[in-house]
Amino acid sequence: MIVPFGHVLMLAGMLFLLGVFCTVTRRNLIMIILGVEVMLNAAAIAFVGAALHWQSLEGQAFVLFIMAIAATEVSVGLALIVYAYRRSGSFDPSSYNLFR
Amino acid sequence: MIPFWAQDATHAMALLSTLMPLVAFLAIMLGTRSKEKLSAGLSIGAVAVSFGCSFLLLFRLWNLREPLEYSTRWVALNTVEIPFGFLLDPVSLLMLCIVTLICLLVQVYSLGYMAGDPGFSRYYAFMSLFAWAMTSLVLSPTLLQLFIFWELVGLSSYLLIGFWYEKFSATQAGKKAFVMTRAGDVSFLLGLILVLVYAGNLSIVEMNSPGFAGLMPSTMVTFAALLIFGGIVGKSAQFPLLTWLPDAMEGPTPVSALLHSATMVAAGVYLFARLFPFFTLSPAAMGIILFIGTLSMLLAATMAMVARDIKQVWAYSTISQLGFMIMGLAAGGYFAGVFHLTTHAGFKALLFLCSGVLIHTFHTNDLFELAKGGVRRLKIPMVALAVAAGALAGLPPFSGFFSKEAILAVLALSSNPIWLGAGFLGAFLTAYYAFRVIFILLFPPQTATESSDQLSGLPSAPKPSHHEGSSMTLIWPLIILASFTLLLGFLQGPLENFLVKEDKHVLLSHGVLGAWLPFIALFFALAGAGLAWVEFGRQGARQVGFAERVPFFRDLFSQRWYLDHFYRFFVDRVVDRGFSRLFAQNDNRVIDGSIDAMSRGTLETSRFLAFLQSGMIQYRLLASFAVMVLLSLYFFF
Repeated sequence: MIVPFGHVLMLAGMLFLLGVFCTVTRRNLIMIILGVEVMLNAAAIAFVGAALHWQSLEGQAFVLFIMAIAATEVSVGLALIVYAYRRSGSFDPSSYNLFR
Repeated sequence: MIPFWAQDATHAMALLSTLMPLVAFLAIMLGTRSKEKLSAGLSIGAVAVSFGCSFLLLFRLWNLREPLEYSTRWVALNTVEIPFGFLLDPVSLLMLCIVTLICLLVQVYSLGYMAGDPGFSRYYAFMSLFAWAMTSLVLSPTLLQLFIFWELVGLSSYLLIGFWYEKFSATQAGKKAFVMTRAGDVSFLLGLILVLVYAGNLSIVEMNSPGFAGLMPSTMVTFAALLIFGGIVGKSAQFPLLTWLPDAMEGPTPVSALLHSATMVAAGVYLFARLFPFFTLSPAAMGIILFIGTLSMLLAATMAMVARDIKQVWAYSTISQLGFMIMGLAAGGYFAGVFHLTTHAGFKALLFLCSGVLIHTFHTNDLFELAKGGVRRLKIPMVALAVAAGALAGLPPFSGFFSKEAILAVLALSSNPIWLGAGFLGAFLTAYYAFRVIFILLFPPQTATESSDQLSGLPSAPKPSHHEGSSMTLIWPLIILASFTLLLGFLQGPLENFLVKEDKHVLLSHGVLGAWLPFIALFFALAGAGLAWVEFGRQGARQVGFAERVPFFRDLFSQRWYLDHFYRFFVDRVVDRGFSRLFAQNDNRVIDGSIDAMSRGTLETSRFLAFLQSGMIQYRLLASFAVMVLLSLYFFF
């Protein structure tokens, strides 16, 4: 393994913070869901790095599950976003305040 | 669980005599209300059966030594058992016979009196209800059962006073009677609870047993006796609560005869006689009771002197005579009080029934109107009325003389001569007002009769509707009761043997006055009657009593010593403007205010919480991230 494990974790952490930043600050539902995907991928990188470091295959298998969940999450999320757009005419989450 | 059916023939008779009127009441209310003749027949049949049974019981148990008790368990809680049943002893048997006899006579009389009334069936249903409640009250073995039926007779009294409910004054009178007797009953119930706390049960036999004094401290006995006496004051219309009885005369006259003179109001005195050994445990309570009895007797007698309404005169006289009985009992004369109760039931029912005939014929209650109408032509009722008035006044051949003399003999034994003096004064006033009524009715002023003869066409002079033709059902009860009034006095000896089995020697000595007592009593009675003759009877009398000539006394007596004014003032100022206003303010300010504050607080809190909910998912996400980061910092470093 030519990349040290510490660097891999650093990358994963920075990617996760980017995802959090994107999710929390953007005022567009599509960008929010994109941020969530970025966070998931950060987790996947951490898993792959750990699997290499400890020479264990479970981490790699876990990444496959994460990819599947991310794909389903995106499909369901996009469907909800399309529906929400049709009802309110906006992607801004602050305009969804029926319960308020 | 002991079954509630007859254990032997005596028990069966007691059951029949109390339960038959209940059966009649239910049958009339549920089934036969539309058929008047059938309802009346059912009711009279039932009361006749219970009358027969009670007299059989009296003869069967004439030589009874120990009280006979039958009881069955009604309610059983953990340790408390509430029995129901019958207690047969001399005083209850005697009272049972009085009640059923007068019930029967009055119900027969009502056939004529109430004929054609739209509420005929209802009337008989209520009469049966009363008969059931009263007979059960008389035979109660425990004070709790007695209290239940005590309230039931109060209910039937209320229903019967307000029987003509279209008349506003009748419903008002019923309400007044109900509320005033209830005031007494609250005190009665408190007394019962006090006894229950100390003694553990309310059995009459146990309360009367000599061992009872060990169960309660003597101050508590006095207190309980006075509280129970409060119930007697309400029911028997004694001093503070006496104004309901004259108003109760709004009911039909047979009702007044049965409930408000002979039996129901006598239930108070009966209770006193029933618990006589219990009351004698407290000499202090007996002293207060003696005072209240005396006061009621004299007050009511003065009221009767100026009343113009014939039924009101007899109502005041009922209060006065009940006070007299209570005097006799409180002075220690058990037999004297019960004997006067017996004779009074007879002659007072007779007075009312006679007055009922007069009122039925002439359609007025006013003494002078009746006299103008010519009641002296109704021979049998007038003779019966005179007999009853003689008994009320205490003139010799009639029953009242013997029983009054017995009470005066007891009063003569007491150390304080005031009570005996009050007794003589009462006898004088009683004779005066009784014969005032008789003379007013018999000797209408000459000018009045002449003018009414001349102007007979005027509507102002009341005309007899079915003159002289008073039906036999009205007349026969009068004759029977009049013969009782004549004969009952001579039964004093046997009755005394029956009621008081031992220690007769107390009643045989007549104190300082000794054998002269009957003559002194007779002198006072004759003086009263003589004064009535001078003022109302003799030729050219002005028919204005000595009390009526003084405006102060006239107003005082006819306004019932301003007792009603005082009650009105009291209710208005103290209850309405004092307590009620205080309670209303408590309701408005404290209770409503605190509930309003609670709801306002909830509203404000939820407004504040709603402000936190912005509807923005990203803020919450940010918050959860921040929490996660802080938590991880906390855990890892």
